[in-house]
Amino acid sequence: MTWRVHAKNFFLEFMQTALRLFPWPTQPGLRTIGRPDASSPVLLTGNFDLTVRRLVHALEGVDAWLLVAPSGGINVWCASSGGHLTTHQVVTALKTTGIADKVDHRQVILPQLAATGVLALDVFRRSRWKVRFGPVDMHDIPAYLEKREKTDSMRRVTFPLSDRLQMALMWGAPTTVLISGLALWLAPKWAAALALLIAAMSVGVFTLYDRLGEQRRWILLGVSAVISFAATWLAGGGAAALTASLIVPAFVTTLLTFDYTGSTPLEGGSHFEERTWHIAFDETLCDGIYRCWEVCPQACFEKDEANR
Amino acid sequence: MSSLALMRWLESSPERYDAGMRFITFGNVTKLHAAVAAAAASKPGDRVLEVGCGTGTVTQLLLGRGADVTAIDQSPEMLEQAKQRLAGDSGASVRFIEQTAAEIDGMADASCDAIVLSLSLSDMSPSERAYVLREAGRLLAPGGRLVAADEVHAPAGGQRWLQRLWRFPQAVLGWLLVGSLSQPIADLSGEIQAAGFEVCSEQRWMMGNLALVVAEVAA
Repeated sequence: MTWRVHAKNFFLEFMQTALRLFPWPTQPGLRTIGRPDASSPVLLTGNFDLTVRRLVHALEGVDAWLLVAPSGGINVWCASSGGHLTTHQVVTALKTTGIADKVDHRQVILPQLAATGVLALDVFRRSRWKVRFGPVDMHDIPAYLEKREKTDSMRRVTFPLSDRLQMALMWGAPTTVLISGLALWLAPKWAAALALLIAAMSVGVFTLYDRLGEQRRWILLGVSAVISFAATWLAGGGAAALTASLIVPAFVTTLLTFDYTGSTPLEGGSHFEERTWHIAFDETLCDGIYRCWEVCPQACFEKDEANR
Repeated sequence: MSSLALMRWLESSPERYDAGMRFITFGNVTKLHAAVAAAAASKPGDRVLEVGCGTGTVTQLLLGRGADVTAIDQSPEMLEQAKQRLAGDSGASVRFIEQTAAEIDGMADASCDAIVLSLSLSDMSPSERAYVLREAGRLLAPGGRLVAADEVHAPAGGQRWLQRLWRFPQAVLGWLLVGSLSQPIADLSGEIQAAGFEVCSEQRWMMGNLALVVAEVAA
């Protein structure tokens, strides 16, 4: 690749990460990875452009068919949980892309995190395609395809530093634009300092926040307010600037932690009561195929071979 | 998550959803719905398949004309709203089915006198549209009608520019607030013809932005 292509890819990666609060769609349909034939695996993902570009990159060296299902331009986990990547979108992709004419099997591999929205048995009933849930992390797909088996680590959601920094960028960028944009208009000389404060708070929220215990919102607010107030005072800010130096951290703390549950795998719960599920075992419904064990990204279930 | 909240708020009431649609189309959607129903249900007893029934506005009009309606939608919330809308009409001959447009491929050949696609094609990808239109041709009985109404590209010149100007803020708001990604269809009649239909008529509303196409399977 030329430096221009690298630069363009980097720019797109940065922008799509910074703006990933918003949908960024790519055209749904069938794509080829490498040189697939009739026996090649069929993978499916949502039509969030960032995911599709990263997936194509992660699958270098693999021959496969890639179905891009219409997920509203939203990433797989959010789209599946929010009703944008469900059984219906999977069935639509299987039926309308012509994939059935390209392969001699009827098995489609979905991201494990699509399991919150896709009912595998319902997909089979509606399309006669069998669903397998692949690894959580797309980088594990080549290894998974070799053995068609998931290791325990392939099932688990983790939150490494790279993901934490992406979330910091995702929340920090629009917050900086909003707050520093207002500052540029009302008090231009403080805009750069505010941007720095928000960047530090964003990184802090997504790298240290989960290690702070129950009172973390107050700790974050307290520390950022003290730093902000001290810096403003040392810089010779007047009464208005000192007041703002306390109000802004409170506002930024609220924004950055507003959807901590939805932006990290660190907290349970949901903004929507209907999505706060409680696990209950119903022996009459269990058919012993371990689907729950296979798709739970937090290893909530254990296999009980003796009693299903 | 906030965008989902707004979408849920809009979908929580058919009146609110329909009022929003009337607002962004300057009321033209009401005329469009009436024209769709009139074109699809020409006589009582017509078997009409409505693909993407939404909150059931067109369904109600079709039933009012005596049609026997099968209404499908992939959104259980929308279907619930449509059912509520028709709850008081005990004599209505209607079946609601939760399924995607592509799943009409499970229906029998020549089982419909008319197929309605009202503001649903623009929500589909081009390959999905082509598939659904091809299947629609198979489902229609001899002499049956395809009635497709949707947002389309304005014909040309000044109208096209006005459409872009009007649509841009709407598209940005829709993208930011509800993740709406629908695009006007560049050539609705052309896509319908490419699927094996003969276009009988095309009407336009709202400076050419909304189109109603009536077509029959080509001989």
